Order: sequence, then C-alpha cells, then structure tokens
Amino acid sequence: MRVQPSADRLSKQEVGERQSPLRGFFGSFGGRYVAEVLRKPLDELEQAFLSIVPSKEFQAEYQEKLKSFVGRPTPLYYAENTTRRLGGGRLYIKLEGLAATGAHKINNALGQGLLARRMGKKRVIAETGAGQHGVAVAAVCAHLGIPCRVYMGEVDMMRQKPNVFWMERYGAEVVGVSSGSRTLKDAVNEALRDWASHPDDTFYILGSALGPAPYPDMVRTFQSIIGRETKEQLAALGLEPTALIACVGGGSNAIGFFSPYLYPEGWQAGQVEKSGQRAVGSSDTVNTQRHLSAFPSIGPRLIGVEAGGRGPGKGQHAARMSGEGKVGIVQGYKSRFLLDEDGQVLPTHSVSAGLDYPGIGPELAYLGDMGRIEFTTATDKEAIEAMDFFARTEGILFALESAHGGAAALRLLPSFSNEDVVVVNMSGRGDKDLFITARELDRERWKEFLQREVASLGDSL
Amino acid sequence: MKKLMCHLVAGYPTMELSYQAAMGMVEGGASYLEVQFPFSDPTADGPRIQEACVQALEGGFTLQEGFQMVRNLSKTYPEVPIFLMSYASLVFRRGISWFLDQAKEAGVKGLIVPDLPFDQDEGYYEAAWERGLHPVSVIVPTMEANRLHQLQKLLESHGEEFVYVALRTGITGDPTNLSDENLTFLRSLKARGLKLLAGFGISTSAQVEALSPYVEAVVVGSYLVGIIRDAISTLKGSNLERGVSLKRAVNRAVSTLIQPD
Repeated sequence: MRVQPSADRLSKQEVGERQSPLRGFFGSFGGRYVAEVLRKPLDELEQAFLSIVPSKEFQAEYQEKLKSFVGRPTPLYYAENTTRRLGGGRLYIKLEGLAATGAHKINNALGQGLLARRMGKKRVIAETGAGQHGVAVAAVCAHLGIPCRVYMGEVDMMRQKPNVFWMERYGAEVVGVSSGSRTLKDAVNEALRDWASHPDDTFYILGSALGPAPYPDMVRTFQSIIGRETKEQLAALGLEPTALIACVGGGSNAIGFFSPYLYPEGWQAGQVEKSGQRAVGSSDTVNTQRHLSAFPSIGPRLIGVEAGGRGPGKGQHAARMSGEGKVGIVQGYKSRFLLDEDGQVLPTHSVSAGLDYPGIGPELAYLGDMGRIEFTTATDKEAIEAMDFFARTEGILFALESAHGGAAALRLLPSFSNEDVVVVNMSGRGDKDLFITARELDRERWKEFLQREVASLGDSL
Repeated sequence: MKKLMCHLVAGYPTMELSYQAAMGMVEGGASYLEVQFPFSDPTADGPRIQEACVQALEGGFTLQEGFQMVRNLSKTYPEVPIFLMSYASLVFRRGISWFLDQAKEAGVKGLIVPDLPFDQDEGYYEAAWERGLHPVSVIVPTMEANRLHQLQKLLESHGEEFVYVALRTGITGDPTNLSDENLTFLRSLKARGLKLLAGFGISTSAQVEALSPYVEAVVVGSYLVGIIRDAISTLKGSNLERGVSLKRAVNRAVSTLIQPD
C-alpha cells in the first residue's frame, strides 16, 4: 500500500523511485537525454537528492525555513461570494501566492538552495521566464549567502522589468539571453550551457518540474507541500475535494498541488505501460495508453489549465496537451512539445510569461495521456477577466498565470453540485503583472501616469 | 598525416552558400565533413554555432533540403565521408527509422547526436548499426571509468570504432588549451582501438599538429563557422561570385590549418 506522507515530512517514497521501474521515467516520458558532459553532474545531483533530502537534518532545516522564511502554511480560502454568485460547487482557493516572493516558486528554490549548500556548491545559476522563479532563487541565495546568476531572455527582461529590478536588489546577477526566441526556453538553454562549462562548483536550480532527471522528481518533491497542506486543511474542515484545478506552464505548481492525489491506492511501481519504450522511437509510435480509471477509487478530478493565448494556430498559444503537442525530446527530457514537422520548437504565446513555454513536465504529460489529469485551456482574455473577477468579488488578486486556473474554475463551477468541493490553486499573486494588466484594463490613465513619471524623471536629472 | 573533420551548419548562411563552404573545405584538404542540421535549441553549442543555426532556420532550412545537400556532397566527393550532427528532437520527430533511412540514402557514413547517449537512445544505436551507419558517441574527460567501460563493451560488440572526443567540458567554441592530460586521455582511448574524432575549441595549426598523432581526425567547428561569418560580411557581386569567394576563403582557412604558411 502506498504510504501517504504527512504534511510536515517527506517520506522516502515521495522523494525516491516512484512510478517507473526505470528511475527518472514516467511511462516513456522523462529521462535524461543530455550531452555526455552533463551526465556526471546529473548523476551527482540525483545521488545527493536521494540521500540528503529525506534525511532528518535536511528536513528539519527545510521545514523550519518554510515557516520562518517562506511564511507557510499558506491559507486555504473559501470563496463564498463566488460560490453564491455562480451556484454549483463550493469553491476554495489555495492562496499559494501569499508565500514569500509572491508565488509557489520559493518552495522549490529554497529546497534546491539548501541542497546546493549541503553539496558544497559555491555558485548557483537559474533560468527564469516571468521572473518569479528568478526572484525566488535570488531571495533564497541572499538568505543562504550563495552567489547567484539568473539567465533571462531579453524579450522577457523587457516585459518583466520590475522582476529584473527585484532580482538585482537581492544581489543576483541577471544575464540577458539574446539567442533563439529570447524567452524562457532560451534561458534554460543558456543555463544548461553554463552548467556544462562549470559542472564542479555550480548548482543549477531549475524552476519547473521538467528537464533531465532528477529535476522532475525533485521539483515535484519540493512543491508537494502545496498539495499536502491543502489536503490537511480540507481534512480539518471535514472535506474531501471533488476537483482540483491548477494552471500548467512547465507544471510545477500543478504537480505539487495534485501530488497527494496523482496515483490511486494500490498503484505500484512496475505497473507502468512499457509499450514503445524500447522500440525505435518516433513521435507517433509511442503508446502510453494505460488507463488508471481501471482502479475502483481514483480520487478527485485533476484539471490542468494551459495557456490558450489568442486562440488556436501556430505560435498563438502554449497548449501542449489540449492543443497540438507532439511527443519529442527537447532540453534533456521526453514529453509533449509544440514542434513543427521537422522537430523544430515552435514559438508560443501567452499573456502570462510563466505559461509561455513549448514543453510540459513529463509526469503531467504521462498522467494526461493516461487519462488521470484532464487538460483544458483558458485564453489571454479569459485569464484577465478572471483576475478582475476575483479581485472584485473576493478581494483576491491572482497572478495572470494562476488566473488561467481561476478562469477554468469559473467556467466549470456551475457544472458541479453544491455538495462538491472544488479547489483552485492561486499559485502566484498579481502585483507583478501591473505593467501588463494596467495597459489591458486601464490603458489611457496608465499611459498618462507613465508619461508623468517619465517627465518627472527628466526634471530631477 | 594530419586529417581534419571540418564542420559546417547546413543552410548557413544560405543552402547554396553552405554548399560552397563545404566544397571549400574539401578542396582545402578536409578528410571528413561534419554537417550539422540546425535545431532551434542547440544546448551543446556556443554562440557562433547558435547564431549560424538561427540564421539557417530563419532562412527556412528543412530536413528535406538538408538531406538533399548531403546527397549532393556525397555524390560529388565520394572519397570524403560525411557525418551528420544534430539533436534528438530532429532525429526523433518523424521516427528514428525514417531519419536514419534518409541519412543512409543520402550517403551519410555516421551520425553524432549528443542528446541521445548510448544508454538513453530510443533504439537509435541499434537502428543505425542495422543500416550500416556509425552512431558516434561523445566521450568527455569527466566520464566515469565504469561508464566508459560500459560504452566500450557496447561498441566492441558491434565492431564500432568511431567515437567523438570533446577535449574539455563546456560548449563548442570556447578556446581549448591542450594539456598533457588531454594527450594522455587520447592515447589511452586510442590504445583501446578506437578511431577518435577529437575537437572542441580547435582553431590553430599548432593544435592540429599536436593532436594528429592520436586521432583519426581533428574536428574543427566554431572556428570555421567564424571564418564563414567573417567572409560573408565582405561578399559582393552575383550569387555565383559570392559563392566563389566564400569557397576560396574557406579553402584557404582549412589548408592553412593543415599546412601552415
């Protein structure tokens, strides 16, 4: 029987060998498809992760800092006004965005930062898209006293200037990436290149549940606090969830939030569908069809919400599971990606930089293909409307990424009965999006304000 | 005997000019060609090759054109073996068998796919051997002894001799200072009966000279991409004239590496 980990401690199972007989694989997804130069640092990282993270000393330090530095537990909020307004299920919101630095990213940044220190690494590098992971890593490195360099695409630096400023306040060096599409994926490439050049003294804190093994396992492990806490908070209210909803970029908040409910009881390692795994691979021959729904009690509905962007069409969205995602191998892992016929990575679009990425974490892709996780999308417009709705109706400000989950919750809530409990994860709060939401929702007055600001800067020179 | 494996990015700066560059390499004395099919996210490559890949893709590079170029090269220069370098995404997308069939048909001798290592290869190694192609593993100095041993056993069991040796950690293009350690490492690999294609950061004839006793061929990559980049900034005239000048510039650079002035 599968041991349910308690909220204040990670079990060995939570950390280690999970669903696949081949470590680092989820069905045929995941793996460690990297150039040889990265093999040794990844092997070392995996060893450290498996031996250090479950230890009492590590856990004591991590849990203490989750309270004192991160501000956990984050609240579970009953959205009574929304529930009354929409009818249908009862809506709860996990206010993960109230964690330090404004998003769930800090859970993982802190975990990996502590691991870096225990491994004796002298230098930390990270990638960032929206800047939330970068800000979290920068804050953790300031706290731990480790020098930190964050790679960020030049396009993202332009549109997320405030986060560049905050990272620099925390003492991080922010390096612009000018290659490729100059966004998150290119920042990942650059961080991988840096690591390949400095494998001995450098720790790469990857921010999402993707990349080569052991990152998907490690990031899920550090983010699983979201789901375990939610489960306890619901239990304290005498509730069982009917559905959990989370936005999915790479998918770190979703996999962490869903983690206590991913696999039904009785599920064991070794039951994984292997067909296609050792066969000569291609995007179209892989078969991971094995349905967990065969189990008598599968648990709550798990709903992942991808960026629908401006709608269907190449380069207009970032929907891998609910869109045109193909099985591929990119950035060290096998999963579903937005690729063209030749295997080139396609451009993506989302109003939220955090969801604007062509790949999805391998475990989510696997669970999606098996039918355990349902995927849907929310468009740019729906996300902005949901952000606005929750601000007015509940006094709660969603980050644009998380507002994709919020939008799906608003859409689905009426389809549930009033006995049902629906929980949406607000993975981040919306303050950081000021420059995007203000120009969308209050364009003229925002423009006047910026012009006055520019003028006043001129005066003081 | 100094042998060079000269690297180029197919489609950089254009399909036509990259073909001229390849001709310049062969005529300058290249013993092998390494043709890289550009990928949108080349994580093992440094800035020069990245830029070349971006430009080739912006120019509309397709696999079909890439294989056509290789086919033409292998017909024109049957004596110069061509190795195809690319990333897993391109090899995997339409199916590894499909990709290898295309490569075989185009006259490729072997392939270098750094992100399909021998123990996570999706069946690529076996499928290559079945077709009489050489899947070339990348060996780095930091590789653990038992892993190297595991690889060698696999290669031996298939009579595979070719391996690619990256002379240092990091990405392509940064300069490499050849040390005694490098040479000792190469000597030990050579003693295992492997044919070494060795490179990373090679840009001088002195480096080529120093490596030559130990290797089947010295790989020159980013340096030649830089030569092409510099040459195209000065190209003038008709397409034909531009091609001729590029070919001449590349020819000169390659022959100087082999036979310094």
